[in-house]
Amino acid sequence: MDPRPTHETDLMSDLMKRIGAGDSDALAEVFDACSPLVLGLLFRILGRRSEAEEILQEVFLQVWIQAERYDPERASPRGWILMLARSRALDRLRRRESSRRREEEVAGQAGLLAVHPLGTERLEAVERRSRITSALSLLSADQRHCIELAFFEGLTHTQIAERLQAPLGTVKSRILLGMNKLRQTLSA
Amino acid sequence: MDAPRDHSARHDELLPAYALGALDGDELREMEEHLATGCAACRRQIPLWQGDLEELAASVEPVEPSAVTRQRILKLAGKNGKETARVQAPPRWLALAAALLLTVAVWAVWQQARLRTEAESLRAERARLVEQVTALDRRLAQAQGDNERLAETLSLITAPGAKAIQLAGLGSSPGAVGHTFINYSQKKAIVYAFGLAALPAGKTYELWWIDAGGHPVPAGTFDVDENGSARVLVDKVEGAEGIKVWAVTTEPAGGVPQPTGETVLKS
Repeated sequence: MDPRPTHETDLMSDLMKRIGAGDSDALAEVFDACSPLVLGLLFRILGRRSEAEEILQEVFLQVWIQAERYDPERASPRGWILMLARSRALDRLRRRESSRRREEEVAGQAGLLAVHPLGTERLEAVERRSRITSALSLLSADQRHCIELAFFEGLTHTQIAERLQAPLGTVKSRILLGMNKLRQTLSA
Repeated sequence: MDAPRDHSARHDELLPAYALGALDGDELREMEEHLATGCAACRRQIPLWQGDLEELAASVEPVEPSAVTRQRILKLAGKNGKETARVQAPPRWLALAAALLLTVAVWAVWQQARLRTEAESLRAERARLVEQVTALDRRLAQAQGDNERLAETLSLITAPGAKAIQLAGLGSSPGAVGHTFINYSQKKAIVYAFGLAALPAGKTYELWWIDAGGHPVPAGTFDVDENGSARVLVDKVEGAEGIKVWAVTTEPAGGVPQPTGETVLKS
């Protein structure tokens, strides 16, 4: 069950049911509600706008096709879509040479970031983002960095240790402590 | 008691990294084996960790998708309907064209197979007919030969002045018989022999006549068929009117100028 049910989650769950029944208007609503965040995640992982948009299409096509497989007991609709996107992006990332991973600088894309109109749902999303940003800020820089390498680049303990040239035990410890602190903050 | 016996603090420690996808090697195997036991404690914990990760995913700065991306996705879903979008089906005309092409291809293959079978059948029929024609040609040639011989015989024996002389079996062929038809005007003779034994290799039958002076004159050698029969045409019968005796002897193959062997037929 979604640990943090919200009004947004209830609304999205209804939309997912409609998509499962073949309602393309519902897909449009979910796309409008989630695609900026999903594209943000894809862009954060892939670092290339064009590739991120390509994966975004694949993700929402998958949502359209597999909406009836969505299990509200296991994740929120937004979480399910974000995890689909992460999984696809990491697959793409793994196929790419690491030296070419960051050809497009995030800074150079600043002009592409859009400001959203602040409706009720948007406001809720902004609040949630603010909450996780605050939670992340409570972690040490090392803890945050290890967790981000695992989450946004799909690296394992061993790969992170190699990347950072840090002892494996230290990396494990940073991740464990960082995740536990995140849990405490978010569930507070 | 909702936690299996083997659930321990170690699994609690591994779970966050497992949810994050950071486990590898032995630790990943250990966790997967533990989860495969259906640990209820872990099943409760994993969605909570995933919820945290969803929050982490939502921590990124949103990026507005391009209008083209939005249009593509919604067009695919809205215009074509769910079932079509699922398989990204081609336009209807393309599907119809593909179905038509498939039908034509199947028909062509079927036709080709049918024609191949028909051609094979016709080739076999042609070979059979060629064999039949060859056999008929053979029989016709044989019949023509028989006919010619019969006509020749009839012409010879029905001509004015023709004479028939009978030969009787002798020696080792007592049951044999022979008939000589002689045409004095044409100076030709035909001898028919019946009931003669087949000869061993190196032996042949030889026909003779005895002229007015009592000298045997060789008239040709012959072999008999499987029925012991033979027909011998003698083209030039010199002194036909003076011939007293017709005889057949067994001689060495190729014949001899004077009879040396047993006389098996004599008039």
